[in-house]
Amino acid sequence: MKTIHLVIEDKPIIAPEGINIFQASLDNGIYIPGLCYHPKLSQFGGCRLCMVEVTERRTGHRFACAHPVSEGMIVKVNTPKVIRYRKSVMEYLLVHHELSCPICDKAGECSLQDITHELNQSPSRFKAVRMDYPMVRDNPVLELNRNRCILCGRCVSTCKEIEGIAAIDFQNRGIKTVIGTAFDRPLECSFCGGCVAVCPTGAWQDRTLGFKGRSWEFSKVPTICPYCSVGCTIILNTKMESVRRVTSDDYLGINEGNLCIKGRFGHEFIHSPERIKTPLIRKNGELYPTSWDEAIEYVAKRFQQIKNEHGGTAIGGIGSEKCTNEDNYLFQKFCRSVLGTDNIDNMANIKSPALNGLIYESVIHGMTSASLKEIEHANTLFFIGADMTEAHPVAGSMARKAIRLNNANLIIANVRGVQFNSIARNDIRLKYALGSQIILINALIKVIIDEKLVDLEKVETSTNNFDKLRSLIDKFDREEASKITGVTQDAIRNAALLLTKPGNCYIICGKDIEENPLAEDAIRALMNLCALLNPAYRGDAGSGKVSLFFSRSHNNSQGVNDVGVVPGFLPGYVNINDASNKEKIEKSWGVKFPDTILKKDAENVIDLALNSKLKALYIMGENLVVNYPNGKKIKEACKKIDFIVVQDTFLTETAQLADVVLPAATFAEKEGTFTNMGMTVQRINKAVKPVGDAKPDWQIICSLAQKMGHSCSYVSPKEILTEIETISPMYAGINYDRLKRKEFHWASSVSNKNKSTRYTFSMVKPRSSEIRKNKDFPFVLLTGASLNHQGTFSRHSKSLMSVAPECFVEINKKDAQVLQINNGDRVAIESDQNKLTLKAKVTSKLPERVVFVSEDYEWVPVNILRDRVHTSVKIYKETV
Amino acid sequence: MNDQSTKNETIDISKVEKILEDYKNTRGAVIPVLQKAQAAYGFLPEPVIDHIAQSLNMSADEIIGVATFYAQFHLKPRGHHIVKVCCGTACHVKNAKALSSKVREKLKINVNETTEDKLFTFEEVSCLGACGIAPVVMIDEEVHGEVSPDKLNDVLDNYKKSGV
Repeated sequence: MKTIHLVIEDKPIIAPEGINIFQASLDNGIYIPGLCYHPKLSQFGGCRLCMVEVTERRTGHRFACAHPVSEGMIVKVNTPKVIRYRKSVMEYLLVHHELSCPICDKAGECSLQDITHELNQSPSRFKAVRMDYPMVRDNPVLELNRNRCILCGRCVSTCKEIEGIAAIDFQNRGIKTVIGTAFDRPLECSFCGGCVAVCPTGAWQDRTLGFKGRSWEFSKVPTICPYCSVGCTIILNTKMESVRRVTSDDYLGINEGNLCIKGRFGHEFIHSPERIKTPLIRKNGELYPTSWDEAIEYVAKRFQQIKNEHGGTAIGGIGSEKCTNEDNYLFQKFCRSVLGTDNIDNMANIKSPALNGLIYESVIHGMTSASLKEIEHANTLFFIGADMTEAHPVAGSMARKAIRLNNANLIIANVRGVQFNSIARNDIRLKYALGSQIILINALIKVIIDEKLVDLEKVETSTNNFDKLRSLIDKFDREEASKITGVTQDAIRNAALLLTKPGNCYIICGKDIEENPLAEDAIRALMNLCALLNPAYRGDAGSGKVSLFFSRSHNNSQGVNDVGVVPGFLPGYVNINDASNKEKIEKSWGVKFPDTILKKDAENVIDLALNSKLKALYIMGENLVVNYPNGKKIKEACKKIDFIVVQDTFLTETAQLADVVLPAATFAEKEGTFTNMGMTVQRINKAVKPVGDAKPDWQIICSLAQKMGHSCSYVSPKEILTEIETISPMYAGINYDRLKRKEFHWASSVSNKNKSTRYTFSMVKPRSSEIRKNKDFPFVLLTGASLNHQGTFSRHSKSLMSVAPECFVEINKKDAQVLQINNGDRVAIESDQNKLTLKAKVTSKLPERVVFVSEDYEWVPVNILRDRVHTSVKIYKETV
Repeated sequence: MNDQSTKNETIDISKVEKILEDYKNTRGAVIPVLQKAQAAYGFLPEPVIDHIAQSLNMSADEIIGVATFYAQFHLKPRGHHIVKVCCGTACHVKNAKALSSKVREKLKINVNETTEDKLFTFEEVSCLGACGIAPVVMIDEEVHGEVSPDKLNDVLDNYKKSGV
């Protein structure tokens, strides 16, 4: 990139060509007052404040945000003339702006207030004309006070460019211009709160704050969001040991200050009155509060007793997708070394058992080498089976950035017509038939091979098995594929053409692929596709990157697997039966694994319980009863277990079945690390003291281990992470203190070490997953993520509950017509397992004979209907 | 959304559907579509805006942002005859205010409003460019120069008589 030399305020500066003076100053720590320019938004040039004196060929005055840097340019920011101009602009702005600073939540962090103060603004020469617009308060989280608005347009740009929604725009013209919605209808948006974050005045406000403190009273603790697996950095604003609001920082973390509704407004659960504050113990069938001493002693005694009578393997453990790496590491260490059981698992692994191995393989082959933030630099984006808007909204914003700044191409393949607003020039939507994903991927591969879109000779020399793949693909018919998938041949071809274009190509594999019974085949087919798309074989040899991302559900769904809460695998995906590794770990932990651990049953924890082989179950941070994708089975399994210990923040459905409940601290009350779906390890920071007697999970596990006679004397998660590093080569080079400043991306270090690995194509037969047709149950139930809710936390966050109080069943328009179901009708969904009544939402997004219910509304246990991934159901109008 | 569509039941969406056919996958289609839709409906009804938004893959909010910016677009039904009273400098000097009052008094509507019988819409405009014959009132495409309140009364009566 060409660089430009210029001088700003007597400071010589080197800036990339094409950026404006404002950005160049910002990058070099020179302050220019401005209200409408924002580095992450497109230039607007509306506030007129950033006037500077510019000498190019001659001297003149320019707006810094609208004028590009040029060679030899001299910029002066604070000449008397510029300051006089700036003062008069402020004078005009303040004619209308009500000076309600004493009752404005923005005071103290308001750019308008700061600039007024800094310019030493004297009383205005004009008569102040205050506007008298009513407050817009039509939703539970955002409020708009138009009297404070200076029409800088930041919120409008954010809504359009970052969220892709454009729920607000300038309305009217001239003096009557306001920010608002069409026909003043209530705000209909994703409630990401981006408008609040960029607003330079107090016009947009966070209603969850609502006068709970002044901005200067808050201590601000950066940490990682506890909801989805993107791993956004959020700033907890605390006062007197309570979290009052969440803000974001444009320069911290991977999210550039962008958040979704859950991240920004879903913090109220931390201080929910429903938190468990003391340990609970079951006596005479009821849970009673007790002391930590009694609870720990009782649990230790029972565990020891069961271990002595039935062996350690009679105890199972379920780790948490929401707890830190350190909590989970200690959990599996406790289970393996103290209890002597390998019957441990986590929900992510239970739902898609093949995934861990495949991800690790993909990392080894350098196919999963990019971190999530690199999506911003994509040239082609391919989302398959992923609903970015609902499941990973901020990664969606990163994608929109790539589309806006790099003109990235977009391909979205999904069974449902998922919503993803973009301005991509090439925007291909492949709505494939349920279960035909492997055929679709193979059809893409076929087009690439048939039309020689990549250098096939190079592929052949640098990989194994390519000839076999070729002969397999040769037999495969494009027309047939088009017929089965329901996607036109043209669309498939166009998608393949876009995929092979030069530049960075990022593929995001979604939950629909990962949790499918044919997950392994589909992901292997995707890996074949990635191998073909390697930049070395494309026209642009060497430049560009191809990376495959795997969707994960929760904040630490990746980490819980990485640190070994997986049957058969020690931390870092080390096979427990691998003698040398086992020895290393035994030595490090100072234990000897009993032989029973190694004789691995094929059954998972829940199957063992069903077969009455499990006497006790230790569950950490997981609402197993609700989240297990087979409601009937898990219920029966839990009944057969004598002793259940649940360690959680709320009295979930699972905790209600427990014999002992141990109160755990939330993410805001502890230290540790989370690993996001891009394999980036980030640190969380303690912002407040745990409520009541709650303790961080790792401390609870430590006291249990000590009670059972093992030394377990960690003083902080730092020590635990250091131990993880010594045990697992995957984490080599991680440093707890350094994580405070810079995140750690384990995938890139692992794939760098394995650079020479040759890829071997897997032979994936193009086949559809079988959807059992059933006359009595003619519909197929699909489940998926929800933007507004996830897990136990969101349901205890007041604001999220008021934005999305109800879970809907989505049904296709045609089916709805036949069944005479209208929007909002109460309908019953019934499978051969159970029945659920929900409100209907008629949509054109779904294919016929498919209904969709989100599984993230935890109080709507959709899993009670399911016994497999594509459960057959019937749906009918509930008669009162 | 539902109650809005019932409120405007009389709106026939098919006209705008036809207009939109010509603008499929065209960038920068908003203004021409709005102009044609307004020509077809006389104004821009809410369901029509929603329909345009959906077909152009934009939000209604953005479209209304455009529509409210330009004076040429109208979101309220307009009358059969548009009465434009010029308030430019020359007309103002020649007492255009009296003409505005006359219209207000005669048609019983304020500026930018439409009579109940949908016959007249009253607008005040900045300058019609006919300062030589000030004060000027323009009704539809017809310019009436050197109007007095009484003369305007007669002119309006004529329009009233001829009806739609």
